Amino acid sequence: MAAVEVVNLWKKFRIYHERAISLKERVIFWGRQRAEDFWALKNINLTVPRGTTVGLIGRNGSGKSTLLKVISRILYPTEGEVRVKGRVSTLLELGAGFHPDFTGRENIFLNASILGLTRKEIKERLDDIIAFAELGDFIDNPVRNYSSGMYMRLGFAVAVHVDPEILLIDEVLAVGDLAFQEKCLARIRELQGQGKTIIFVTHAPKQVAELCDLAVWLDRGEIRMQGPAREVARAYAEFMGGAAG
Amino acid sequence: MCEQIKEIYAYREMLRNLVAKELRARYKGSVLGFLWTFFNPLLMLVVYNVVFSFVMRAQIENYAMFLFVALLPWNYLSVSVLQGAASLVQNGALIKKIYFPREVLPLSVVLANLVNYLLSLLILVPALLAFKIKLTAALLAFPVVLLVETMLVTSLALCVSAANVYFRDLEHIVGILMTVWFFLTPVLYPVDIIPAKVKPFFSLNPATPLMEAYRAIFFYGRWPDWASLGYLAAGLAVLLTLSLVFFNRLQRNIAEEI
Ligand SMILES: Nc1ncnc2c1ncn2[C@@H]1O[C@H](COP(=O)(O)OP(=O)(O)OP(=O)(O)O)[C@@H](O)[C@H]1O
Ligand SMILES: [Mg+2]
Repeated sequence: MAAVEVVNLWKKFRIYHERAISLKERVIFWGRQRAEDFWALKNINLTVPRGTTVGLIGRNGSGKSTLLKVISRILYPTEGEVRVKGRVSTLLELGAGFHPDFTGRENIFLNASILGLTRKEIKERLDDIIAFAELGDFIDNPVRNYSSGMYMRLGFAVAVHVDPEILLIDEVLAVGDLAFQEKCLARIRELQGQGKTIIFVTHAPKQVAELCDLAVWLDRGEIRMQGPAREVARAYAEFMGGAAG
Repeated sequence: MCEQIKEIYAYREMLRNLVAKELRARYKGSVLGFLWTFFNPLLMLVVYNVVFSFVMRAQIENYAMFLFVALLPWNYLSVSVLQGAASLVQNGALIKKIYFPREVLPLSVVLANLVNYLLSLLILVPALLAFKIKLTAALLAFPVVLLVETMLVTSLALCVSAANVYFRDLEHIVGILMTVWFFLTPVLYPVDIIPAKVKPFFSLNPATPLMEAYRAIFFYGRWPDWASLGYLAAGLAVLLTLSLVFFNRLQRNIAEEI
């Protein structure tokens, strides 16, 4: 059973040179607006079986984040289709939607509800989230007084407790101090143990080899290679080593 | 459409939190705190009363109340549309990073203003009593009228918020249009002073039967004109459906256009 299925997916962005953003400008610059099409994803086909962890690797600008956004429905495919079975939680940026004047606790309610939880579900998870974030008494302080690491901790704690069937993670594993990173990885393993489907973006082939079952290597919007994580990670590491040296 | 509504319902907690956030942001930091809610309508009431009973003697008896009764629901409409217009663009950062049904943003603006309007009734009702205006059973029609108005407000807020992502100056254009609409709607004046020649145009204005209905139930203590409310509600049901479809179509590219 596939948790995520991407079929012939193409994603186009329009790059404007002079962006006419208002009605007035659109009328004035009628037909003269220069825009180029940029295909950020080209013919992506991908099947993620339920319960597997997939690593997305590739150089900067290869389309990894774009692919995650399309899967999570933040962006809409230009062509093709994405089929998703189960609740998705996306971690693109931690703590998005936090309100600086609200306390950590209030922000847990706000943030979790933006991620789609009901009040009851949030209450059930509240203690776990607070325990996971390890913020001590700061949990009842406004988050504007938090350090950026504390902010991230709270964001991560909320996101991983949403308890989605499918978790999409974009380079947010590198937050916090070492101890917290370890904790995040441990939590990822725990979710893997529970049979969750995880897709995550990383730049470290080593992490792919260690954490993932499958891997996809994106290059300029196309899939260059996909298959067992170790093989893809090795090929990518060799390629990047070659490119660097 | 059904899917869309189901999704919005699934995110009701987000909606609730955004409304709470909005109301809290509006009243926070003031010494009077919650009482601040009442201050604005109260001030309006006093000013209108002074102006219209001493400065500019109006023909209508109790003109301040006559005006107040329609002005409050008009403000609900107009403030919701104006704030709704900006709601998506203002939350661009969130839209780019998290998926949620985007309708939640304009809807939260509408609901926050609805709550505001309801709170202002706590001023309106005592004021009506103070001016010796009789409250009758016609007040029972209030929820119906409010519902019909909310259909209008929601449709407009949805359309304007989505269109504003593509045309950023729409906010300002809407501001001007709302002012024009205000003068074309019988808020400051009664419907009967509209010349018969232009009356058909006025009856095309969906805000006219609404203001009439509010005035009937609060000011004249009469039941509203059910027939015109009924036609309006049917028309607005269509408009609301179209607005949801329109919004859904435009929202596809919102994250990259914002
Ligand atoms: N909203 C947008 N409008 C126009 N172009 C965009 C937009 N978002 C992304 N792109 C382009 O699409 C390409 C892929 O971007 P994406 O963010 O998916 O890369 P990435 O693989 O995540 O890179 P990184 O490793 O740097 O995070 C880039 O060339 C980028 O410039
Ligand atoms: Mg990226």
